[in-house]
Amino acid sequence: MFGLLVVPLYRTIEWSLERVNYGEAGTFVGFDNYAFALGDPRFHSTLWFTTGLTIVSAVVIVVLAYVLAIFVDGLRRARPLVLGIMLIPYVLPHVVGSAAYSWLFDPNFGGPAALVISRLTGQEILWFTDAWPNRLLVMSNIVWSMLPFAMLMILAGLQGVSEDLREAADLDGVNAWQRHWHVIIPSIRGVMGFVGLILTMDIFRVFDNLIPLSPAAVQIGNESMMLYIYNIAFREGSPQLGLGSAVSVLTILVILVLLYPSIRGILREASGRD
Amino acid sequence: MTDTVTGAAAPALAPGTSNPRRARRPRPRRRRGGLGSASRGTIVALVCLLSLLPFIWTALSVTKPVDVAFANPPVLTYTPTFASFENLWYATDFYKYLINTVIIAVISTAVALAIGLPAAYALSRYPGPVSAGLLILALVFRALPRPAVVLPMYEISKQLGIYDTTWAMAAALIAINQPFSIWLLRNFFADIPKELDEAAMIDGCTRFQTLRRIMLPLMGPGMLTAGIFMFLFAFQEYLTAAILTDVNAKTVPVFIATQLGQTLPMLQQAGAATMLLTLPVVAAAFLAQKYLVAGLATGSVKG
Repeated sequence: MFGLLVVPLYRTIEWSLERVNYGEAGTFVGFDNYAFALGDPRFHSTLWFTTGLTIVSAVVIVVLAYVLAIFVDGLRRARPLVLGIMLIPYVLPHVVGSAAYSWLFDPNFGGPAALVISRLTGQEILWFTDAWPNRLLVMSNIVWSMLPFAMLMILAGLQGVSEDLREAADLDGVNAWQRHWHVIIPSIRGVMGFVGLILTMDIFRVFDNLIPLSPAAVQIGNESMMLYIYNIAFREGSPQLGLGSAVSVLTILVILVLLYPSIRGILREASGRD
Repeated sequence: MTDTVTGAAAPALAPGTSNPRRARRPRPRRRRGGLGSASRGTIVALVCLLSLLPFIWTALSVTKPVDVAFANPPVLTYTPTFASFENLWYATDFYKYLINTVIIAVISTAVALAIGLPAAYALSRYPGPVSAGLLILALVFRALPRPAVVLPMYEISKQLGIYDTTWAMAAALIAINQPFSIWLLRNFFADIPKELDEAAMIDGCTRFQTLRRIMLPLMGPGMLTAGIFMFLFAFQEYLTAAILTDVNAKTVPVFIATQLGQTLPMLQQAGAATMLLTLPVVAAAFLAQKYLVAGLATGSVKG
């Protein structure tokens, strides 16, 4: 079964070194595609947009998810109801959830969020065609769709924090801030790290959310890495399959660097256990 | 890093099964200096409302008559109508796309389980390095940029003449999601004590018989969890479907996305399709909550 992934992956690496069209044999061009991508302003803006979006959204999500998990952890009877509601944005296909989300902000369709915000600020904000408002819109949508996942993971982690530890901290008279910062967060460091890792990987590969939320992504420089590859290698008039594959390979390298600490951790754990 | 989490966390999280340690003694009062429980409740309620707001708004829009459905400023008093649903059903091939989505999800879930169960069982009975290797593979494959595997699949499926079929789409999803399902199942197998296998083998069971007669009945929750996640992944997939399908095997997310750039009746159809998709998901979020939550805790925390 792994072959079904390894064969296509091999083909992508091969294509990244060629000038090639679908269904034809390519011409070997060495690292030309890589050189072109690295010098292309569109690739640069894509890389900065994706990296910035990933870092900011991941930090916002982790902080909000922690606070929310603490609140939900205090719930008893209402908990299944709250978890059920929060699971909905996570379980729905992201492209569908984002479409519903986009209607809130589209003044052409009487979107209530757009209406309220323009009343409050006194300005018409172009959520879909202005670069920064659109970035905010995309970020808020990513927070909306990924927060439940992060919250559930942290909530799971909180169940492992020993009650004795919390009580001991209470007896020592710590305040709320100290209790979270010095007692609870250090004991769920592993979960927090893992949530951060998964969020980073998933947001770096964001694609679905941008289809409804950023129809003008190319013009305003809000293309994500995956959208860029999809556009140049599949969607646009004369697909540049070689270039797209080269960008895919570069993305894989970035992801491997991001994953390196976890991979090392897993290997260390495995060798330590035997 | 990972071992600290599971074990303690996963079982305790399932709703309805409260943490035994907490049940034994009253919850200590330790909220001094924090927010009052009323304001905490208000914030949680607000977050729930924000989670639902896009769907509430969509539900309103699709039950409005078509001429005011997306009027600006919004029309808030109207006679509800289900015309957009009828329109969706008769004017588009929505039911076909829905059937495609379900077929692809069912095939990929069934095959992923059929391959995943024996593989996961074998792996769970192997010590360290092999499992670590699998975990790394599952992690790396989970993180792969989709176009890196799906664009070559597009070309291969065209060469094989299976482009735009539900089978090709299901095969692609099995390949993409299998590493995760094997990992998830492996963790459930790992919780079943090895002594049980040994007892069965002493009684004369072969490995395969042990799996079928002893392990499978114990793996109910694990299979359900892995199955739900495979189904979910197939149901959610957009990029793969946008590349590997055209007219015949199109799935609902692709259909909704293509309706978005269109004009009014089609936009309302997209809204109606969104609602038809949301309702079963709401049901699933409540009915299968225990498995979704357990799957996230067991599968994601570890891999």
